[in-house]
Amino acid sequence: MITKRWLGIGLAAGGLLLVLTLLAVDLIGAGDYQGIGPAQRLGLLGGGGLLLIGLSLIPLGDRPA
Amino acid sequence: MIRWPDRTIRWVSYGLIVAAGAAYVGYFLVYAYYAYRLLLFPFDYDQGEGFELLDTLMLSQGRLPYLDSNVYPFYSSNYPPVYHLVIVPLIWLFGPQYWTGRLVATLGTLITAGAIGYGVYRAQGRRRWWLVLLASLAYFASNYVYHVGPLFRQHLFLVMFETLAVVIAGGVIAREEKTGRQSNRGWLVIMALLLLAGYTKQLAYATVAAVFIFLFLRQPRRAVLWAVPFAGVTGLVFLALNLATDGQWVVTTVSANINEFIPGQAIGLFRQWFTLHPVLILTAAGYAIYQLYGERLSVGAIWFVIAALNSVTAGKWGAGESYFVTAVAASCLLTGVAFSRLLDWLCSRGWSWQPAIGLRAETAALAVIPLLFLVQAEAVFHLPTHTPWLQTIARALGKPDHTLVAPQTSCSAPRPAEPIPYVDEAFILIGRPPTDRDTAAGRRIAAVIAAGKTPAFSEEAGFNLYVGRDVVTNPTQLLNLYKAGELDLTEMIAMLDSQAFDTIVFRAQFYPPPVLEVIGQRYQTTELVEMNGFVYCILQPKY
Repeated sequence: MITKRWLGIGLAAGGLLLVLTLLAVDLIGAGDYQGIGPAQRLGLLGGGGLLLIGLSLIPLGDRPA
Repeated sequence: MIRWPDRTIRWVSYGLIVAAGAAYVGYFLVYAYYAYRLLLFPFDYDQGEGFELLDTLMLSQGRLPYLDSNVYPFYSSNYPPVYHLVIVPLIWLFGPQYWTGRLVATLGTLITAGAIGYGVYRAQGRRRWWLVLLASLAYFASNYVYHVGPLFRQHLFLVMFETLAVVIAGGVIAREEKTGRQSNRGWLVIMALLLLAGYTKQLAYATVAAVFIFLFLRQPRRAVLWAVPFAGVTGLVFLALNLATDGQWVVTTVSANINEFIPGQAIGLFRQWFTLHPVLILTAAGYAIYQLYGERLSVGAIWFVIAALNSVTAGKWGAGESYFVTAVAASCLLTGVAFSRLLDWLCSRGWSWQPAIGLRAETAALAVIPLLFLVQAEAVFHLPTHTPWLQTIARALGKPDHTLVAPQTSCSAPRPAEPIPYVDEAFILIGRPPTDRDTAAGRRIAAVIAAGKTPAFSEEAGFNLYVGRDVVTNPTQLLNLYKAGELDLTEMIAMLDSQAFDTIVFRAQFYPPPVLEVIGQRYQTTELVEMNGFVYCILQPKY
């Protein structure tokens, strides 16, 4: 059984990974847009949200997810 | 202070329940009428229906519809075969009729609503049939379900498999946790339903993910143990289809479905989805958040969140409102469960504001819940208004009794707006029941094709099927393949250039630009026919 803490860690890690990947897209120059494009902005928003939700779940500890 | 005796409010709540029930039964009758009119209509109502009928016809003859689009008849399907296979026996019995697929799709929506109702019923401590009924009927009341549900399209058949899989998964886990015994047979049924969903339409991956995430949260090891054979069987079927079609399966169902993403389209559809379903979305989202922090996540909550997120794929070119129907089904289920549990909880607590205002919390909730369903009913308003009493109903509800809209003209001069007897908060040109005039228009186009000697190069399959000629081309599929660089137009352009087809039928000019260009050079418009709010252009060779 997965706990709220582990669910939180998983979601936060997923969100962080998404944010870093989308930022890396600019560093390597992929994509059609200069700067942050509309789809990228949508992804960053989603990744950031996932990160925050994940972090807020970690304090809930060993309760079942 | 004004006193609100509990009994008075309880009677008010009964009145509101009856009013909400009447509203949703009304929507169901509207849905049934639209489905009935579609069963009688022998042509494409929504572009794409005829191609699904052709897929079914080919499967009924033992042929796979995943063909090479580079050669005559330039046709391939971009959908998996499960929905069409279910219809095959009806084609054997009655021939290639549109009503066969429309009937099966409509029955699929009835099963989906039944599964939603069962899911709500199972979550209830104390039986409240009115809530089961409202949650089920809210599915039919959605404009998106109404528009697409009775069409010869596979999408809502996919939602049926998804809903069954989720509702059964919730029940199997609950029984396992109650008895302490694992039900592998139950999970086998769920896996079979997910497999059928995936081979009905590719979009099922979101529900597959939701069910496996749910199982992983409850029993991580078992989730992995089920995921391996599930992925194996899915992959084997995929490979078998690809081998049987000489690689065309991948080209037609994968490459042709990777279309450009249009952010504005996605945002617009999300806004519309929320505007049309505010009560369902807010209740489902609120309940999912409560479960995330306050108790364990249910499969319904995970399904709703993932389906809502996956609805962003509606922003792809060629996608649309139907991509939200999984989220609509999930929100109906979750709303019914949330309100049932709220009432059970308030009932068990016995909270009361008496004697201060003379009202129990449960009674207040009993009045508020049907009121919320009425607010939801107002948000999705849609009604055909072709009879005086339907017009009276629309006006009595403060709505217009007609919609002023110009016929869609992609291949001819714009036409002035005209009143049509149909009102819809999400008007998108489909939803108005087809009339005898539309049937006559379809027959006129078919008669033009029948007067010639060759099949028509037509954007819709129905006219060629009606006169017993080959179906030539699947325009959106050709455009997708063209954009993906997977289409060789040499043979098609040579045939058009030599005027090998004596009739061309346009509705939206979805063909790749070089095809439209050669048609423009070698053919001329000879007749315009209006059907279901679209102006069809009939072109014949320039001599």
